[in-house]
Amino acid sequence: MDSNKVVIEFKNVTKRYKLYKNDKQRLFAVFSKRVKYKEKLAVNDVSFQIRQGESVAFLGKNGAGKSTILKMMTEVAFPTSGEIMIDGRVSALLELSSGFDMEMTGRDNIYLKGQLYGLKNSEIAELEDTIVEFAELDEYIDQPVRTYSSGMRARLGFAVSINIRPEILIVDEALSVGDKEFRKKCRQKVNEIIEKNNVTLVFVTHSISMAKEFCKRGIVMKKGKLVYDSDINDAIKFYDPPKTAKK
Amino acid sequence: MGTIKTIVGEHVEWRSQILKLAKADIIKTYSGAALGWSWALVRPVIMISVFWFAFTYGLRGGKPIEGFPFILWMIPGFISWFYMSDMLTQGAGCIRKYKFLVTKMKFPVSTIPTFMSMSKLAIHLVLMCIVVFIFVITGHFPDVYWLQLPFYMLCMIAFFTAWALFASLLAAMSVDFLNLVKSVTQAIFWLSGIMWDINRINSPKIQFIMHFNPVTYVATGYRNCFIYKVWFWEQADRLAIFVIVLIVMIILALWAYKKLIKEIPDVL
Repeated sequence: MDSNKVVIEFKNVTKRYKLYKNDKQRLFAVFSKRVKYKEKLAVNDVSFQIRQGESVAFLGKNGAGKSTILKMMTEVAFPTSGEIMIDGRVSALLELSSGFDMEMTGRDNIYLKGQLYGLKNSEIAELEDTIVEFAELDEYIDQPVRTYSSGMRARLGFAVSINIRPEILIVDEALSVGDKEFRKKCRQKVNEIIEKNNVTLVFVTHSISMAKEFCKRGIVMKKGKLVYDSDINDAIKFYDPPKTAKK
Repeated sequence: MGTIKTIVGEHVEWRSQILKLAKADIIKTYSGAALGWSWALVRPVIMISVFWFAFTYGLRGGKPIEGFPFILWMIPGFISWFYMSDMLTQGAGCIRKYKFLVTKMKFPVSTIPTFMSMSKLAIHLVLMCIVVFIFVITGHFPDVYWLQLPFYMLCMIAFFTAWALFASLLAAMSVDFLNLVKSVTQAIFWLSGIMWDINRINSPKIQFIMHFNPVTYVATGYRNCFIYKVWFWEQADRLAIFVIVLIVMIILALWAYKKLIKEIPDVL
């Protein structure tokens, strides 16, 4: 197996958000170029490569641009300039409690998500029991997702994302879901698919211990710029000098 | 041109998902309610009865048109209005409704109005079957003019799907636009000759202007099949105007798509 294939590549990627005073201004801006707005530079000229089978943690304070980078990796958001190359089926777990159709039952959502990821119904049927069991939802699985607690949604989201055989797994804070037992199960599962299926993991977190546990490489972001990219231990030292480091 | 290619390509690539989402949309709309599917029928039945009552006993008019009782004349146009009004408002709101498809996963935004339209079309087809049934039991049997129903249906779908793409993109940018559409819908209903016969307008100028309204074209078209017994090519001028309006709508939709597609995920 060629484990050196580049699966994610960012080339000089910059992302600017346009901030308008209100919705009305934004609507006017569609028709006229004269409407004033402020620009927020969320990601500033970032380049990196991630190879298959790597596990990379993105570290950084709030507003450093980590989530924007993940969104662009998922091809949900588009860069203002620069190029992004993605090779493989991406399964993303962005923000815990969303990504579901609230009116549909958990089970229907499993099928919907599976279909959207391009799986056949027969393939989803095979995975269905594993997902339901993993999410620990029991009889709730046939209730509409809007009735779920945020923890339940997050567990379902995690169970779906990790079980639909992703090639690239993108996780945003999601591993801090549920109780200790569930977290442990998540960790095992993530480690398992990284080792067995050569899945590439991209991980964003504030928790240093968690980053250390999953990832071998760390990228530190600061104010939209990539400031450090190296081995996870060094990255953690850079991000959070030992004096204040937890654990 | 490039935009058309992208949109068509996305539809081809995601065709099976589009079908499934359309199905899920119908199921979702009605499955939560205790009466379920019957809600798809309850609303039209109530509205048609109320309007029929108001127009037959309340307001003036309500006389038979072309030998058809007023209620029979009203029904074909009114039924098409249910699809059109749904597409006007819900079509405009469809990207907001399916926000999670835009912001949480990779999904072609251009197909959201399409599956929305398909879901509304399914309900429209059921209602059309009921219309046919009503005409048959009142002794008006199908004739060759009914064959042009699919033509008018196609016109309707084409225009309102393009509209939904245009409007949903703008509505995603700003709720103001959505509110504007919602408040104008009722006005469109009364202006478009759903409830009254536009052929009775005396001023040729106003008649001419009316033909620029696609809602009028479709509602009158349905009545051409059931009531007036006119072929669509016999009204070539109206068809020409409709086609122009349709092309303008498609161009607007493409313009909005090209301009806004990359901004939508950031603002939702």
